[in-house]
Amino acid sequence: MKEFVLYTGCTTPVRLPAYEAAITIVLEKLGVRLIPMKDANCCGAQYVESVSHTAFAAMSGRILAIAESMDRDILAVCGACSGSLKIVKHDLDHNPDLRAEVNDLLAEEGLKYTGTVEVKHLLQIFNEDIGYDAIKAAIVKPYNGVRLAAHYGCHVTRPPEIVQVDNPETPVIIDKIIEIAGATPVDYTGKTRCCGGPMLAMDQEVANKIGLDKIKNIRSERAQGIVTACVFCDIQLTQVQFGDTAGSEPKIPVLTLPQFLGPALGINFDKLGIQLNKISPEAILQVT
Amino acid sequence: MSNDGVPQKSVVNNVPSSDFAKEVEKEFGGEGIMKCIQCGMCTASCMVASMADRYRPRKLIQKILLGKREEVLSSELPWLCMTCRLCEERCQEDVNLAEIFHAVREIAAREGYVPKIFQNTINKVLEDGWLLKDAYTDFVEDDRSDLGLDPKLDWNDDFVKKVKKRYFNGGNKK
Repeated sequence: MKEFVLYTGCTTPVRLPAYEAAITIVLEKLGVRLIPMKDANCCGAQYVESVSHTAFAAMSGRILAIAESMDRDILAVCGACSGSLKIVKHDLDHNPDLRAEVNDLLAEEGLKYTGTVEVKHLLQIFNEDIGYDAIKAAIVKPYNGVRLAAHYGCHVTRPPEIVQVDNPETPVIIDKIIEIAGATPVDYTGKTRCCGGPMLAMDQEVANKIGLDKIKNIRSERAQGIVTACVFCDIQLTQVQFGDTAGSEPKIPVLTLPQFLGPALGINFDKLGIQLNKISPEAILQVT
Repeated sequence: MSNDGVPQKSVVNNVPSSDFAKEVEKEFGGEGIMKCIQCGMCTASCMVASMADRYRPRKLIQKILLGKREEVLSSELPWLCMTCRLCEERCQEDVNLAEIFHAVREIAAREGYVPKIFQNTINKVLEDGWLLKDAYTDFVEDDRSDLGLDPKLDWNDDFVKKVKKRYFNGGNKK
């Protein structure tokens, strides 16, 4: 059984624990075991990242070094965290001065970054470590064609030369998994556009407009649900549908990729935390 | 030759050369700024620009190239980039706008221009070690237990204090 260190990041365990539970049980079912990272810190994305590149590198660098001490590659499930860890790994691997600086700080607790661990986003685990054939073989209760829109998340797929997850303009991994599980992947305008989540701090109104624009585009293709691969995107695309400007049309359920895949693998709703979703996806999760 | 009315190379005035652009170019992430040809593909791709008239990434790059240092550093504009990098995907000259705006933010931070919401969040992270300590309620703990997850989150707050001491104390004025 393959093993990875799970770095949950700050947001998933608090705002979307169902995502964490669903990832753990779905990957276990597909032959991947996760070991939680203990004593971790925030990766520094967006906030510390904006004001000090060196401090940001130290914070993400420590997470990379902890994984090295555990002798396992990292699974990051949040777009911001996976992006940060990959970018900092790239920086530390190409900038000896920065690496020396970070290692100087890490040495006090006996940690060292040498560059031996890989950082993988959840989509890579499905695509590279499990593979579509194995997913297909594990489907015991396929869906019956339900129409689903994939939302990939900006920091999951860009910058492509560093993150190396999927095609940045025409990503396919979530769509393929939707198809393999018996549902219908639906293309829509602006698929690779941002959910608006990173704008919440500076301008909530603009953030909502960006999120609702995506919902509108998804709705116009008559998609019955949205499948995500980042905790921030999932939360943002859900909450914009509850705002004053959201309109009166029925809300479109938003669910994480493992929550979608789980029922098709024969996993019960309660273990996937489906009951915690703010817009119930139960009607669209009826497997045959 | 100088009298035939044809401008000489030395008087071509669209070569970006402001001191501020050079300053950004030297900053980590700012290296690509001089490659910008001001085509506007970034603004055309930008979701923030499509929803907010005040934000135009091409114009922001232009202000930097023209040397409007104080105007740029004291404004909220560099902080409105979502770093979604859709513009970078489409830029024909490989200008890395998200990185450039990070470089500008870093210069702004050194001079005390950090939006309050950013500064508050940074202070929190550098105190608690993570973002959501205050949001971790008993209700969430119960949800985690029900899902079979460890309710103890075990974040480290020692390291961020070292980071704060080393890179922030005294470094940020204001």
